[in-house]
Amino acid sequence: MAQIFPKWTNEAPRRILFGSIIFLNAIVFAVWYFFSPEFTDVGYMPEQPVPYSHQVHAGQLGMDCQYCHTQVTESKHANIPATQTCMNCHNQILTDSENLTLVRESWESGQPIEWVRVHMLPDFAYFNHSAHVSVGVGCESCHGRIDRMEVVHQAEPMSMGWCLDCHREPEKHVRPVSEITTMGYSVDNQLELGRELVAKHNINAPTYCQSCHH
Amino acid sequence: MSDQSNQTTYWKSLNELAQNKEYKNFVEREFPEDATELSDQVSRRSFLRVMGASIALAGFASCRKPVQKILPFSRQPEELVLGEPLFYATSMPFQDSVTGLLVTNVDGRPNKIEGNDAHPASTGRTNIFQQASILGLYDPDRSRSPLQNGEKVSKNDFAQFASDHFADRNRNVLFIDEATSSPTYHRLKEELLAQFPNAEWVTYEPFSDQNVIEGTQIAFGQRLRTVNHYDNADLVVALDDDFMSPQAHNNSVENSVKLTAKRKVESTDDSMSRIYAIENAFTSTGSYADHRLRLKSSEIEPFTYALAAKLSESVDGLAAFSGVSNAFSSHRWIDILASELLANQGSSTVSAGFDHSPTLHAAVAAINYALGNAGNSVTYHSLPYRADRNEQQAFFDAITELKAGVFDTLVMVGTNVAFTAPSDLDLVQALANVETKIHLSDYVDETSRVSDWHVNRAHYIETWGDGLSFTGERSVIQPQIQPLFDGLSEIEFLSTLLNGEISSGHELVQATWSNFLGSDMNRAWETVLHDGVDAESGFDAVNVALTSGFASEIAPSLSSEALNGIEISIKPDERIYDGRFANNSWLMELPAPMTKITWDNVALMSPATAERIGIDPERSFKDNSVPMVRITAGDTSLEIAAWVEPGHADDSITLTVGYGRNNLGRVADGVGVDTYPLRTSQELFFRAASVEPTGNTYEIACVQDHHSLEGRDMIRTATLEEYKENPDFASYKSIHGYEVPGIKEAEAEGDDRGPISLFNENYGPEYQPQWGMTIDLNSCFGCGVCTIACQAENNIPVIGKREVGRRRIMHWIRTDRYYAGDVDNPTAYHQPVPCMHCELAPCEQVCPVAATTHSEDGMNQMTYNRCIGTRYCANNCPFKVRRFNFFNYTKEYLTTGDDPEIIQMAMNPEVTVRFRGVMEKCTYCVQRVQRAKINSKIATGSKRPEDGAVITACQQACPANAISFGDLTDRNSAVSRNKQNDRNYVMLEEINVRPRTSYLARLSNKNPELA
Repeated sequence: MAQIFPKWTNEAPRRILFGSIIFLNAIVFAVWYFFSPEFTDVGYMPEQPVPYSHQVHAGQLGMDCQYCHTQVTESKHANIPATQTCMNCHNQILTDSENLTLVRESWESGQPIEWVRVHMLPDFAYFNHSAHVSVGVGCESCHGRIDRMEVVHQAEPMSMGWCLDCHREPEKHVRPVSEITTMGYSVDNQLELGRELVAKHNINAPTYCQSCHH
Repeated sequence: MSDQSNQTTYWKSLNELAQNKEYKNFVEREFPEDATELSDQVSRRSFLRVMGASIALAGFASCRKPVQKILPFSRQPEELVLGEPLFYATSMPFQDSVTGLLVTNVDGRPNKIEGNDAHPASTGRTNIFQQASILGLYDPDRSRSPLQNGEKVSKNDFAQFASDHFADRNRNVLFIDEATSSPTYHRLKEELLAQFPNAEWVTYEPFSDQNVIEGTQIAFGQRLRTVNHYDNADLVVALDDDFMSPQAHNNSVENSVKLTAKRKVESTDDSMSRIYAIENAFTSTGSYADHRLRLKSSEIEPFTYALAAKLSESVDGLAAFSGVSNAFSSHRWIDILASELLANQGSSTVSAGFDHSPTLHAAVAAINYALGNAGNSVTYHSLPYRADRNEQQAFFDAITELKAGVFDTLVMVGTNVAFTAPSDLDLVQALANVETKIHLSDYVDETSRVSDWHVNRAHYIETWGDGLSFTGERSVIQPQIQPLFDGLSEIEFLSTLLNGEISSGHELVQATWSNFLGSDMNRAWETVLHDGVDAESGFDAVNVALTSGFASEIAPSLSSEALNGIEISIKPDERIYDGRFANNSWLMELPAPMTKITWDNVALMSPATAERIGIDPERSFKDNSVPMVRITAGDTSLEIAAWVEPGHADDSITLTVGYGRNNLGRVADGVGVDTYPLRTSQELFFRAASVEPTGNTYEIACVQDHHSLEGRDMIRTATLEEYKENPDFASYKSIHGYEVPGIKEAEAEGDDRGPISLFNENYGPEYQPQWGMTIDLNSCFGCGVCTIACQAENNIPVIGKREVGRRRIMHWIRTDRYYAGDVDNPTAYHQPVPCMHCELAPCEQVCPVAATTHSEDGMNQMTYNRCIGTRYCANNCPFKVRRFNFFNYTKEYLTTGDDPEIIQMAMNPEVTVRFRGVMEKCTYCVQRVQRAKINSKIATGSKRPEDGAVITACQQACPANAISFGDLTDRNSAVSRNKQNDRNYVMLEEINVRPRTSYLARLSNKNPELA
């Protein structure tokens, strides 16, 4: 009697088994990576109504972050500056630049400029800028090298795990309060200095749920 | 429990007392059968079908990141820090008195109301009407534009009409308004009356202190305001006077603050004032009193005359009553009250309910005068804005003239007379005789619908105004936001009639105030706006003396006798007052203080009366239905649900008004029965009536039996004397006769934190505070303002009558009401119950997904995102404080209707809005705790805010200062000191869950003769 199945079918169950293991793993990996904020959120770079360049202002001109984001030490928000702040300089400089048409219109009409939000936390997560900058969490630690961004994009995943990385080991990230707006801050003895700062500012970053979720 | 040797039996309802089988079946289930079916409107299956579509859509929609915009200011206001709240002083007008408030304003959006510490009528506290008024602002059912004969027109159309119509200054205009004390309003009123020589102006309030003022006219010959100083009174006699409740007294907050302060007990050396309540229905004040006597409304008057007669034997000034002899002359209480009053001359208050007759109030005024209370514990003040006449009579007379066709124009300012006027006036008919009817109101209500012009009124939170407190302190009403629906305030409305154009409320108020503030106007104005009250104001006290004609004037009333047979009393509602708050869902869903009924009005009667008219006093627990009765008085008759209230006077039925609305708004429509038709101009308060059961039933959503007591010792009470003898009376040992099980074993192991436990005791790190709360039951009188304040602060949804009937009420803090003693005449106790934040929390041990865990600062935290809705935690909670979102209550509420954004504005941005299938409960206002901790951390580097920096919403609102909250590791904090009080106890100590919320046991200052 002739063989019904050719010889290679002997291998089939094993191949199917290994194939599906690889396939399932690939799915798990794909979900783990492609659905994570690291993939979905990092690099989010929406087009803004005014082509404002942080690279020029914060980088080349070396303006301090707090010149515009004035309320970062008092409020949960690091405020987007009022049109007034732009006009402090731009009523003198580049007064008829085409790029600034919207700014001048807003200044004259009193209507706000509609900036597109880049860094978004979900509504169930509470974040307070003042609590962080006052103990030496630098702007750069969460927002990246803003001074090199022509258009601002999200540099870090801003996921809960990422928050906890620092909350669990703040000494790896804190800097002296005088350096919070410094871009490209780096010291050789970060751990040693970090431990000193943690002790000095009495930093006990909370990791229990309702310190952020309420 | 068989060991309760020392324990009084407390009960919540007649069925619980009787322990019948039906009741037992009822309480065994946490939720009634089919609780998981949304059987009305949408069934579970079709709900899933509907949800299926939205899930699918949500799936695709979430692939793209939603774009959010940030809109900074063009020019940033100087004092504004985005995201940080600003607090502005304002005040809420209610009839002719205002109460000072502080409004929390986040990024230009008012979203929470608190009392203003600097205002005498508030001292930082509020009542339910004030707390809930923020929801009134964001009510999407408010009228949004003026209407001419029902057609939408613009504000300018109305101004044009006013300019044309009132150009003829000789018109016969009748003005009907609500009581108000606003100086600007009265200035414009005077101007209008001067400009229109043929105009008549009357004020009508269905319920007010009108009769108290008329009483002083009879007694002292002057129309005066009576102010009782409960802080100076060692003895309080309340004759059917629920002066602690906002529906019964305009100054309830100040009254409650002062009365409860006089009864704070920190140690055995302290004393308490004594309160006697003689009343018809069981009220909050009655439940707080030390002794309570049940009398029908019609019996109060002869009782008072008998008391005055008894007193006339010992003091001068009451000779007018000396000959009185009636059914109460030999009543046991007369002798006791008389001797108590004589012993406390100059330091007692006698008061009677607003609704009682002027002659009764005159008798009360004479008693206070004769006892020397006048000028001490009771003061009298003249009201500068009030005309010297009987306003109510003036209103009745004006309606007679209206019927005769005297007036061609009728202007109604705010009042809803078509709904609230006595039925025999036939007001709607009378209105037909007037050519032009103009009505200013919040809603398109009963009166608006019969008017030619309706003008939408602006809410007090969005307009400029002013007013005087009950004791005369002047305040400015400061807007917190531009009018949402572009309405007019009362003063803008009057000024439009006067000038034919709309002027700004700001200028109108400033024009008035320039007279008060003198030369340095700008600076003084800023100070008044900041403080919320003009410190240099207040009514002057008047020295009073009985008029010579008093005896002859009161003589005809002295022979008055109680009505025979069954009588009805008609009162303002505890929650919606005269109907003006009927569309406020927070108030509608607040369980009434004594009956714990939500969403309805009922006919209250005593168990004996129920039995007499043929109603079983024990409720059926098969469903929520209760029997209905037909009440007939004169030629009016209506059918209403009957409710048996232990402690109600026999042969008497109490009804409340304001319900039975049509086309007013989504909340008010179809709720309850309109009882106004039973009121006539001659019998506004009580009248004889016949009552019979109809055999029909009606569904009532009452929360009183939702959680059962099962004979446990939740409430602990003693008399002041018992307390002094045995300060430890509230301890577990005193009650049960032995220590809490397991405590000796723990002591043997050197653990002083409580009985031995199987579970790991997890106390947070040293640098964290440990939060705790105490609730002083000796102060709580059950008003429910904590519940509303919590609802406003924590975005708690309203779920509607049917859902409440299924025991799904969402309030994070409920107030349990317990009875003790005789079924006919029990005493009542109130116990607010929020989450206990147990140290060894049973809920945490059963959550399969660790959604409820313990925080470092000792709170039982609920993480909504982790919750998968198993409800194990609620099942395992011994205190039944966990609330489950069976449906998407909040989402439906926030996304339906024509303008969901309006309601979204009312939400607190610091608190997550919960979703379907998620458990929630009291968080100790964690958002306030976190804010205080962050502020403290930035300012001092410490995570322990100083004592008093965290004030929870319930604590802040409480007019009895019953709640304290703070850090237990600070031995000197207010809460720690309370925890060291002898009366401190926790509920269910034997199960060793170690609640962080504890109670201070209730005391009563009994008269040994009555005990």
